[in-house]
Amino acid sequence: MNASFLLFALLNTGFIMLISPFFMSLIKKVKAYTQGRKGPSLLQSYFDLRKLMQKEVVYSPNSSGIMRITPYLNLGVLLVATLFVPVVFIPDTPAGIGNIIVFLYLLAIERFFTALCGLDAGSTFGGMGSSRLMSLSAVVEPTMVISFAALAYVLRTVNFHEMFAVTAGSTIPESPTLTLISISLFIIIIVETGRIPVDNPATHLELTMINEAMILEQSGKNLALIELAHAIKQTILMAVLINVLAPWGLATELTFASFMIACLFFLVKASMLAGLIGLFESSIAKMRLFRLPGFYMMAFFFSALTILMEVFA
Amino acid sequence: MISNKNTASSLVPAGSKLRDNCQIPVNPSILSTRYATDLIIDISGKEPQVRRGKNNEFYIPLGEEEFLKTVPALSEKGFVLISLFCVQDFEESPGFTLFYVFRLKGFTDVFAFMRQVRTETTSVATIFPSACWYEREIRDGFGIEFKDAFDKRRLFLHEAYPEGFHPLLKSFKNRKIQAVQNPEEAYPFKQVEGEGVYQIPVGPVHAGIIEPGHFRFSVIGEPIFNLEIRLFYKHRGIEKLAEGKRPSACVPIAEAISGDETVANAVAFCTAIEKLAGIEVPPRANCLRAILLELERIYSHMGDLSGMITDIGFPKMTTPFLILRENIFRQNELLTGSRFMRGAVDIGGLKKEISDEALLKLYLYSKTFVPEFDSAIAAVRASSSLIDRFSTTGVLKKKLIAPLNLTGPIARASGASYDVRLDHPYGIYKDVPPERTIKTAGDVLSRFEVKAKEVLNSAFLIQKLIASIPEGAVAAEAAGFAVSNIPDGYALSMVEAARGQNLHWIYVRGGLIDRYKVRTASFCNWQAIEHAVLGNIVPDFPLINKSLNLSYAGTDL
Repeated sequence: MNASFLLFALLNTGFIMLISPFFMSLIKKVKAYTQGRKGPSLLQSYFDLRKLMQKEVVYSPNSSGIMRITPYLNLGVLLVATLFVPVVFIPDTPAGIGNIIVFLYLLAIERFFTALCGLDAGSTFGGMGSSRLMSLSAVVEPTMVISFAALAYVLRTVNFHEMFAVTAGSTIPESPTLTLISISLFIIIIVETGRIPVDNPATHLELTMINEAMILEQSGKNLALIELAHAIKQTILMAVLINVLAPWGLATELTFASFMIACLFFLVKASMLAGLIGLFESSIAKMRLFRLPGFYMMAFFFSALTILMEVFA
Repeated sequence: MISNKNTASSLVPAGSKLRDNCQIPVNPSILSTRYATDLIIDISGKEPQVRRGKNNEFYIPLGEEEFLKTVPALSEKGFVLISLFCVQDFEESPGFTLFYVFRLKGFTDVFAFMRQVRTETTSVATIFPSACWYEREIRDGFGIEFKDAFDKRRLFLHEAYPEGFHPLLKSFKNRKIQAVQNPEEAYPFKQVEGEGVYQIPVGPVHAGIIEPGHFRFSVIGEPIFNLEIRLFYKHRGIEKLAEGKRPSACVPIAEAISGDETVANAVAFCTAIEKLAGIEVPPRANCLRAILLELERIYSHMGDLSGMITDIGFPKMTTPFLILRENIFRQNELLTGSRFMRGAVDIGGLKKEISDEALLKLYLYSKTFVPEFDSAIAAVRASSSLIDRFSTTGVLKKKLIAPLNLTGPIARASGASYDVRLDHPYGIYKDVPPERTIKTAGDVLSRFEVKAKEVLNSAFLIQKLIASIPEGAVAAEAAGFAVSNIPDGYALSMVEAARGQNLHWIYVRGGLIDRYKVRTASFCNWQAIEHAVLGNIVPDFPLINKSLNLSYAGTDL
C-alpha cells in the first residue's frame, strides 16, 4: 500500500460517489424528454437521498439481521469495487486490486445479499423478485464471465488497471474487437442496473418487478444507502465501458491539471452514455420475462465472437 | 367511414337463422312474443302470459313448475342470461320476485322470466355460469338462499358485516351497524395443491393509485395455474340509496356509479324513466346524447390504449395517446362544463343546450384528432418489441362469452359481434348505426386493435352526427312532457358503455323509485380475467388486466 494508492482510493471513490446520483437523474431526464415531459431536476436524486436519509427506518417484524446489514454491506462492497475501476488516474496498484474475477464476485456478493434481503421480510413481492433475479442470474453470470474473459483476452491481462493503462495510451480503440465487446458491456449495464427491457425502474406494478420488488420493504436511511449503492454500481459499469471504448482523458500520472481534465472528460463521456441509455430505454418495450435470456445471449454472442476473432485473426 | 346500410338488416348478421329456419320478419317484437310463447308451450305444455314491457322487453311470469322445466332448457336454445335480480313486494305479489333476464341472438327484445320465491330457492348457476355472482349478490342483499348452488360464499358483504344483515330488504332502514371484529372463518379461496404450487396474494391495497381488489394467484413458478378474484371492498349501497327518491333526484346517483361511465349510466337511467313515463326525447337531445356517449367511449378507450402500453414499460409510445385524451377532456369541458360530462344528461333530454359553436369546435377538433390518432397507432404497430408483448398474451376464448355474458370490446376482440347499439338500438343509433368491429384472436393485441378501431369509428360517428344535427329543444319539457311527475311502472334499458352492456331496471311506485337495479358490463366481465390469465406468466397479469379494463366501482355499487 503506497501513498499514491491511498490518494487514488480517496479521490476515485469520492468522485464516483459524488457523481453517481447525477447519472440516475440524467437518465430520467432523457426519458422524460422523449415522452414530451420536462422531467425532474438533474439534482433530484440528491434531493431524494437527502430526504430518505432523514426518514425513519421501519423493519417488518418478520425480518432478521439480513435486512439490517444488507444496505451497509452492499454499499461497502460497491465502494470496494470502485477501487477496481479508475476514472481519474491509474495508480500504482497493490496486488489483487483491479482483478476482474474479484470484481465479478464483488458484484455477485451484492446480488446475493439483495436477493436474501428480498426474501427476508417475508412479503410476497420480495420473494418473487428474488426468485426472478436468481433464475436470471444463472443466465447473466456466464454472459458476464465470457464478456470479461473476452476483454481479458484482447488486452492480455486480467487486471482492469493494466487494461486501462493499455487503452488510455491510444487515441482510437486498441483493437477493433473492443467495439464488439462494448456492445456486450452495454447490455451488461442494462441488465445489472435493471433497466428496460429487463426491468422497469419506473413501474408501480409489483407483479412485474425484479429489482424494485426486492427493495420494496426497505425504508428511510437504508433505502437511501441501497439507492446510492445502485447508482454507484451503474457508474462503475459505465466507467468500464468508457475506459475500454473511449479512454481519452484518463491520466496515468496524477497532477492537479490531469485530475481536473480526467474528471471533466469522464463527466462528459458518462453523461453521453447515460443519455444513450435513456434513449435506448425509451426505444423499446420491456421484454417478456422468459425472453430475457435471448437478450443476454446477444452479449454472450458478441463476446464469444470477439474471442473467436482474436484467436483466428 | 361509416356505412349507410339500414338498421334492420344490420341487426342480424347475414345468414343467421331462427328456429324453424325462418328469416327474421319485419316486425321483430311481434315475433319475439310468439316465439317465446311457442317455446314455453313446447317445453312446459302451458301457455304463459307474455306481457309487453315499456322498452323492448317482455315479462313472462312462470309458475315454479314451468320455471324449472323452461329456464334450464333455454341454454340449449342459445339464450344468454344477461341479468338476474330480485324485487321485494313487486306489484301485488308479496314476497320476492326474481327476474331472469335473457337475450337471444337476432331479437332486439329481451325476455324477463319472473319467478316467485320465498327465502329459499334453487340455483341455475350450473346451467348459466353467469348466474353465480347474481345469486350470491341476491343472497347478500335479500337473504334468499339458493340451496343447491355450488358457490354459497358471500359476495359484496364481506365477513365484517354481521350475520343476517341484508340491506336490500324493505324492512332494512339505514343505520349504523356493528362490524364483526374477528370473523370466525376466513373467506375460503379455492385451494390448489401439489408440488411446487404456491399462492401469491395481491391487494386489496396496491402500490399504484388504483381501486381495491384482491387477487389470489396459484402459480407454479411464473405460469399462473389458477386465479381467484375478490372485489367489493367499497360497497356504497347505490341501489338502496335510490330507493324512496324521486326519479329526477336519482340522475346524479346514476352518474356516480362509475366515473368514466357517467354519460352511459345517466342515459340508461333516463331512458328507462322516459320509456316508463312515455316521455319523448327531442331529436336534437338524442343526437347530442349520442355525441356525448361516443366522446366517453373515445376517452375511455384512449385511457386503455395508453395504459396497455404503460404496463409494458414503453412510456414514449404512451404520450401521444395521453395528449389526445387530454384534448378530448377539454372538448368535454367546452361542451358540458365538466371533463367527465357530469350533469349533462337529464330525464327528457339534456340539462342544458350545447351551443352550435362548441359543436363546431368539436367537429374541427375531430378532423385533426383522426390523423394524429392514426399516426400514434401506426407507431405502435411498427414496434416489434411491443407487438411481441401484446400478441398471444391473455387469450380469452370465444366459448366463454355466452356463458359469462361477456360484452363490449373485450368480447368483440374474441369473435363476438354483440353491440347493444346495434342489437338493441336506442336513441339515435336506430337511424345512425355504428360500425361493428370484430377481431377473433382474443389476445391483448386484438383488444388493442378493437379499441383503436372503435375510437376511430366513434370519431367518424361524431362528425356525422354533428354534420346532420337537427335544430330544436333539448328538453322534453318544452314539448309539454311532465318530467318531474313520473307515473308508476317499470322499464328496462340497456346501453353500450365503453366497457360493454350496461343494464338498468327501474320500478317506480307512488312517484318514487321502489327498486333500482344496475348491472354494469364490468360485473360480468370481471369473471373473464380468471380465465384469460391461465397459463400466462405473473408479470403479464397487469397487462391482461389493463386490456380488459374492468371497473371496480361499476361492479361494487
